[in-house]
Amino acid sequence: MNKSIMVAKYEFLKTVKRKEFILMTLGFPLFFILIILVPLLLTGFSSPEDLTLGYIDRSNSFEFPDEITVKESMIFSNEIPGTTNNQDLDGQDNGKDQIIKLIRYSDVEAAKQDVISGTLSGYLIIPQDYLKTGIVESFVMGKGTNIPQDELSELMVNNLLQDKVDEDTLKRVKDPITFKQFSIETTGEVSEKGLTDLLEDSALPYIIGILLIISIFTSSGYLLQSVAEEKESRIIEILLSSVTPMELLTGKIVGLGSVGLLQIAIWLSVGFAGLIYVFALSINPLLLILSLAYFILGFLLFASMMGAVGAMSGSMRESQQLIPIFTFPAIAPILFMQVLITEPDGMLSMFFSMFPLTSPVAMLIRMGVSDVPLYQIAISLLILMVSVYFVILASARLFRVRLLMYGKRPAIGEIIRYMKTG
Amino acid sequence: METIELENVTKSYNSNKVIEDISFSVKPGEIFGLLGPNGAGKTTILRMMLDIIKPDSGNIKVFGKKLDSDSKDRTGYLPEERGLYKRSRVIELLVYLAQLKGMTKPRALENAESLLQSIEMLEHKDKKIEELSKGMQQKIQFIATIIHNPDLIVVDEPFSGLDPVNTQLIKNILLEQKKAGKTIILSTHMMEQAEVMCDRILMINKGMIVLHGKVGDIKNEHRNNSIFLEFEGNLNSLKEIDLIENIISHGTYIEIFLKEGHDIQSLIEDIVKRVKIQRIEQSTPSLNEIFINIVKGVTS
Repeated sequence: MNKSIMVAKYEFLKTVKRKEFILMTLGFPLFFILIILVPLLLTGFSSPEDLTLGYIDRSNSFEFPDEITVKESMIFSNEIPGTTNNQDLDGQDNGKDQIIKLIRYSDVEAAKQDVISGTLSGYLIIPQDYLKTGIVESFVMGKGTNIPQDELSELMVNNLLQDKVDEDTLKRVKDPITFKQFSIETTGEVSEKGLTDLLEDSALPYIIGILLIISIFTSSGYLLQSVAEEKESRIIEILLSSVTPMELLTGKIVGLGSVGLLQIAIWLSVGFAGLIYVFALSINPLLLILSLAYFILGFLLFASMMGAVGAMSGSMRESQQLIPIFTFPAIAPILFMQVLITEPDGMLSMFFSMFPLTSPVAMLIRMGVSDVPLYQIAISLLILMVSVYFVILASARLFRVRLLMYGKRPAIGEIIRYMKTG
Repeated sequence: METIELENVTKSYNSNKVIEDISFSVKPGEIFGLLGPNGAGKTTILRMMLDIIKPDSGNIKVFGKKLDSDSKDRTGYLPEERGLYKRSRVIELLVYLAQLKGMTKPRALENAESLLQSIEMLEHKDKKIEELSKGMQQKIQFIATIIHNPDLIVVDEPFSGLDPVNTQLIKNILLEQKKAGKTIILSTHMMEQAEVMCDRILMINKGMIVLHGKVGDIKNEHRNNSIFLEFEGNLNSLKEIDLIENIISHGTYIEIFLKEGHDIQSLIEDIVKRVKIQRIEQSTPSLNEIFINIVKGVTS
């Protein structure tokens, strides 16, 4: 057993020092942050460009102010609906507002000339039958200029309804619904559901589920690679003259499993730190513990299978071709996400959350959308544990028999024979 | 107590008998040669000794008992198929392999450095394996075999792919180990090496023992009743000697075969009278010749 720890330690350090690992572990959160931040920053930076627009009103029903100001912060507030106080932003002026000047023209030719000479960014034509069609024609130089539609719409609404309705009605026409959700418990208790609760309930298990898959696959992929590498480089024979195949397999699984745990821990702490900071999210400790349990068991299951595959195949390349066999069952819960969410207690969802290859992810998703009875969680964990036991046993036998064999891949019949007699 | 004992060991792969009912033992402190042509089953025997694969039937004892974790730690194995972790650093890999044999890290580090020194590779200790030449990798692998100071050293074709200088280097280290009282099993098909190094040999062919015993005894046993002769004078005058069965010419010298039941001593006396002797030698075949004869004999 002592030697397993030695193997685990060596495999752990070897993998953690790999460039691929560092890139994946640090790159993944970074990638996410970039995906979220870059569009925000881009819109943020592009907004200050001021515009001068001409307009020709053929319907004779509009009177626009000389200029309007588009608050930069409005761009951000539009991105995150449901956050509080987004109506009252006038107080915070950070000086990066976009100013749109509006100039009335009566002659299209004059407006066109001014666009060509550069004094106008573009011009709008409001046709005679605007009220019936809602069509406004915009003319800009080339393709470059973006006319902010939201602000113009607001301007039109103001013009159309002014003096016809009161101030409050005008506000509601512009922004008719702000949802406030309540959920009714079986006890009759009514509680308000904020965005935070929604996130905690469904997004979190979903995110954890996906991280689980990625992490299980990267670390059991490392296992597959390391077994195949040892076999290919033939160092395996030296190792086996020092440790038993079982010790070697256990050491590898523990070492590379720890790599996976470390990776998921880094991701989750980065992710949660962000979520907690932004939404003051609280994490259900039971969910966290169950995620951990499902991760460890799920990893053991996939890793021992991959260990056997690595031992079975002759080279790294050959073994990598076999990975998709495991990919499909593992991502099946994600593919059937719709069913899991809409019918969390239906037959298919039940099956997915019990079947050992899919249960880690499926159960976490189910727990997110419905109250899964505790006994079901217990049964699913039990099934998973029993399968892990048998798979490890079978894999260790295959591992032992196949590790030193090269050449042709064994037939299914042979594999079954090895599992029985190993 | 014998260092290794095999009793009626049999092994087959897919109903193909690779080893058939083999028994032998290796004594402490000797260099034991395991010889045979390619595919004879040498590597299979070594792997079974080291519990890497299991025999179908028969008993194998190492240090007087079934191989366990403790006796594995006392054994060093250089497999024929060479290979190391390509991306690991020399010193880290050596220390890891020594640790797997139950050695503490500081001791492993100390041994690794002194062994690297002895093969003149200390300056490469922080290089990655893949940066080394093939011969260098092979030397690293050889010292990985003895880094934990094992009592039993099992080497499978240790000289293949090495230049004469490095072959001598490895040979000297092995002889030093023998002097230090270690038992060595040398598996090879290079008979010249086995002939000079081994105390006893076991030759197998197609999974069966064909020769077994001390190198000197085996050679005596397979000696032809003949002498080699280089001389000045008339060949025909020799042909007249009654004791001679046959004469074969090898170019610069001839081989004279004696008739059954006659003494070489009296033959020499007779020769001296007829020609001028430049060199005379009783013929003892090399292991190589014995090996070739036996392998040919079995196949034909």
